[in-house]
Amino acid sequence: MRRFDYYRAETLEHASRLLTELGDDTFLFNGGTDLLVEIRERLRRVRNVVDIKQIPGLSDITYDETRGLTFGALVTVGRLENLSLVRQQYPNLRAALASLGSIQVRNRATVVGNICRASPSADTIPPLVADGAFVHIYSRTDMRVVPIAEFFTGPGKTVLAKGEIVTGITVPPAADNIGKAYLKHGRRKAMELSTVGVAVSLAMDEGVCSDVRIALGAVGATVLRAPQAEAMLRGSRLDAATVRKAADKAMEECTPISNVRASADYRRDMVGVLTGRAIRQALETFA
Amino acid sequence: MNMTTPIEQREFRIVGKSVKRDDVLEKVTGEAQYTGDIKLPGMLHGKIKRAAIAHARIKAIDVSKALAYPGVKAVLTHETVPRVLHYGSPHPRSASCTRDQYILDDKVRFWGEGIAAVAAISEEIADEALDLIEVEYEALPAVFEPEDAAQPGAPLIHDVGPGGNLVLDPVRVSRGDIDKGFAEADFVLEGTFSGGRPHPAYMEPNVCIADWDGSNKLTFWTSTQTSFMVRGILAEVLGLPLTKVRVLVDHMGGGFGAKQDLFQHEFLCALLAKETRRPVKMEFTRHETFVAGRSRHPCRIWLKQGFKNDGTLVARDMKLVYDSGAYGSHGPGVTIVGTTAATSLYRCENVRLEGRCVYTNTPINGAFRGYGVVQSYYALDIQMDEAAERLGMDPADLKLKNVVRAGDIAPSGHPIIGHGLEICLQHGVDVLDWKALWNRDRTPDPKRPHIRKGWGIGCEMHGSSAYPGIKEQGNATVKINEDGTVTLLTGAAGLGTGAHTALAQIVAEELGVRFEDVGVIHGDTDVVPWDIGAFASHTTYLVGTAAKMAAGKVRAAVLERAAMKLQVSSDEIDLCDGKVFVTAEPDRSMTVSEAMGPSRGIPAANIVGNGTYEPTKSYSFAAHFTEVDVDTETGIVEVKRVVPVHDVGRVIHPIAAQGQIEGGIQQGIGHTLTEDYLIDKKTGRSLNAGLVDYKMPLSMDMPDIETIILEAAPDPGGPWGAKGVGEDPIIAIGPSIANAIHDAIGIRFHHYPITPEDVLKALREKGA
Repeated sequence: MRRFDYYRAETLEHASRLLTELGDDTFLFNGGTDLLVEIRERLRRVRNVVDIKQIPGLSDITYDETRGLTFGALVTVGRLENLSLVRQQYPNLRAALASLGSIQVRNRATVVGNICRASPSADTIPPLVADGAFVHIYSRTDMRVVPIAEFFTGPGKTVLAKGEIVTGITVPPAADNIGKAYLKHGRRKAMELSTVGVAVSLAMDEGVCSDVRIALGAVGATVLRAPQAEAMLRGSRLDAATVRKAADKAMEECTPISNVRASADYRRDMVGVLTGRAIRQALETFA
Repeated sequence: MNMTTPIEQREFRIVGKSVKRDDVLEKVTGEAQYTGDIKLPGMLHGKIKRAAIAHARIKAIDVSKALAYPGVKAVLTHETVPRVLHYGSPHPRSASCTRDQYILDDKVRFWGEGIAAVAAISEEIADEALDLIEVEYEALPAVFEPEDAAQPGAPLIHDVGPGGNLVLDPVRVSRGDIDKGFAEADFVLEGTFSGGRPHPAYMEPNVCIADWDGSNKLTFWTSTQTSFMVRGILAEVLGLPLTKVRVLVDHMGGGFGAKQDLFQHEFLCALLAKETRRPVKMEFTRHETFVAGRSRHPCRIWLKQGFKNDGTLVARDMKLVYDSGAYGSHGPGVTIVGTTAATSLYRCENVRLEGRCVYTNTPINGAFRGYGVVQSYYALDIQMDEAAERLGMDPADLKLKNVVRAGDIAPSGHPIIGHGLEICLQHGVDVLDWKALWNRDRTPDPKRPHIRKGWGIGCEMHGSSAYPGIKEQGNATVKINEDGTVTLLTGAAGLGTGAHTALAQIVAEELGVRFEDVGVIHGDTDVVPWDIGAFASHTTYLVGTAAKMAAGKVRAAVLERAAMKLQVSSDEIDLCDGKVFVTAEPDRSMTVSEAMGPSRGIPAANIVGNGTYEPTKSYSFAAHFTEVDVDTETGIVEVKRVVPVHDVGRVIHPIAAQGQIEGGIQQGIGHTLTEDYLIDKKTGRSLNAGLVDYKMPLSMDMPDIETIILEAAPDPGGPWGAKGVGEDPIIAIGPSIANAIHDAIGIRFHHYPITPEDVLKALREKGA
């Protein structure tokens, strides 16, 4: 492994200062499951890592019926995955968490790390986008909160300015009229980067879809919403024909590329298949 | 010669029982020492500079900046290493290898080939120094597909060999009269088949350490299946007598056949250590195991067969082209074995086969579990299913009618012993109630109408030895100590298969001592008897027989000595569980320890037995019955259940045999559905040389496997009739999956891997 310097931040202010002062090629070290591999495989040039794992207050998980679920930057994927609250109220997020890497990876990796890596194929992003989550961002001058759909600006790129640190994520509360699903397409059942990931959150009122968000992973520069497909569903009773049309529309709304994992055409096809299946699965909540 | 020897029938104390492996505790506690765990005082780390071009002349290479880099101790290039043309796959007494490699050459033949080597005080520094080596290339036109390489006028990759980018002259096999056969046929099936480039991806990357002592002797630790071959070729290329090269290998994290080449890094490690007078370690990254390791030969197969309306096969005409990559390695052996294998499996009197092996500017393909046969039997078994479909027959019936039986001539030229394949196939048909399965209602589950289920059968046979390509020899030395414990010395490598446990079982059984009393010394070429290497599914069959012979000699000597002490004749006594007793009076006895130890002025005995065995070949057989689910919307194929029925002759260690079968199925599922090492056809660059995008199935992906092992056709050439099992399972699983996919969705795939995109595309073309 290439050599790098290691810094342990005591506070957010300390970490932020180190990020600014140490200059380029300085990265936060949280779960490290991506960063260390990238250093070892020489995929990322790293001079300094700033370990934030000792900073107090970033490991909390709280739930509030009006605000929803809030978890800190140090919360691991595995910890969240095994919460009964997440199993019951956030089945889409839970499916994404359970499909990330392996048990060993999930016990180290953090959700916030997965978000900040900003990979278009990151498993946890689509359900958080579908649920309308918010990202809490610290800087030495203020705190800001950004809707997660606006957090990403490109593959590996986010709105974070130099010295800014994501401290946690809030996911709005669940409700009895909301159904959710996340479906991942891969070639195997673990240790798999998704070829396509589709998350759906939909609200049903008296048999009619009152709100819906569809988030598509690995078919664009960032995780995408499918606004036209969503519009077709909103106000509908979600009969089979409408669901099929919306799924077809989602295929038009995505912008996949071809790579060694799949061709663009195949990815587009899978957006159609998975969107339809995810909507049907979300509806099963009410069955 | 061994064909007429009857198989000894007896009750077994140790053979056939799943005794605890002797290495299990140290492996699960992490204490087992692998080559990569070894650290020597003053040890340097070596790294290889790899070409970023597929075909070129090196016009200039400047290492001055790398040499000046702090911490760098030596840099080697083609200008500073001995220029010796050598065999990459160094099997002695074998015609099946090609002398086409230099340690370093001024020509690059594939993207990723080593062009220089650095030794430094740390791996990081060596790695950083690689970037400081400046290379000027003269690019040459490159070819990446065998079809292109075989074209007249294609750029030549080597000056040696028969020319035209052929690795060896075409292999031609002919039996009967092919024209007569086709003339008798009621119908003819013709098709082309192709296989991808699966990679073994053993857990332990290639690694070696070289250390020269003051007497100019080289000690060399390396993860190899063939330590004596490493010794021989290192000595030859470095100009040393065999006494000056000692090769050591203890535990290994797999090899699957691919660790029986002499690799570039092994020479370079020895030379860097010589130059620096310090020990040097070289360890591949996972990326390097792909680009600089060995994969399975991609292949193209054309197969035309004639059938009678009653299902009789009357003619088989087959052409096979194997892609060797940039060097010969095992290409000749794979081509010969894979081609001649097609004389058999399903009976046919009129056969014409032609196998070719072609150089391309791609990473080297080599030996890999299934050795050319995976490819050829994939084609044979799928076309057999097509014939059944054409005849309106159950494929099990057509296969049962045509499988080879006792007395049929095997690919080796010998008559086959026993009805192993027929019994395996029939047994699977019976336990699964195949007739009912095959005639089942195929209406999809209304709750999951996009899922289609299918069942398929794949058959295989594989030899337990490389005969007749290589005239093999197994050796063993057995020593008995004065306390009655026993030491087996063997050169057979332990790849992780449990081979040493099986050998110890054989020695304990034959000698008459407890399993726990047998220790195994292996992996030191200065100590153990010469060994050809662990490959060709032959260790239990070949070395097991040698060990049994050696143990038998020791037993006889122990009985002689005990008889003297008991004052009876040696044919009046028996030896069992470490105790010698008079057969007629079991109470008159002594322990082996008492027999061996000193008494009344008689010194302790020194008894050593040697066994040397030169086998021909035995064949193991299997039929795999496989169930798949095909998702017609995503194209994903999921293997749900496999019932592998194997005949391996006498089973020495049932759990180890079962482990081999399950592991082979896991690898075979990967090869058939997800694994393919991809090379960019424009540049020759590797596209997925790593475990992120080279998709091996993991434990979560494994189906239910209900292994059935039959002792249907024991072979007199192996210990108590034992045969090989290592390679067999990977051969049968592939066609069983392809045939099951056809059963599910009515589409024939003639290639592997069969990807979801392939399935979806084919379904659309079919208009489903």
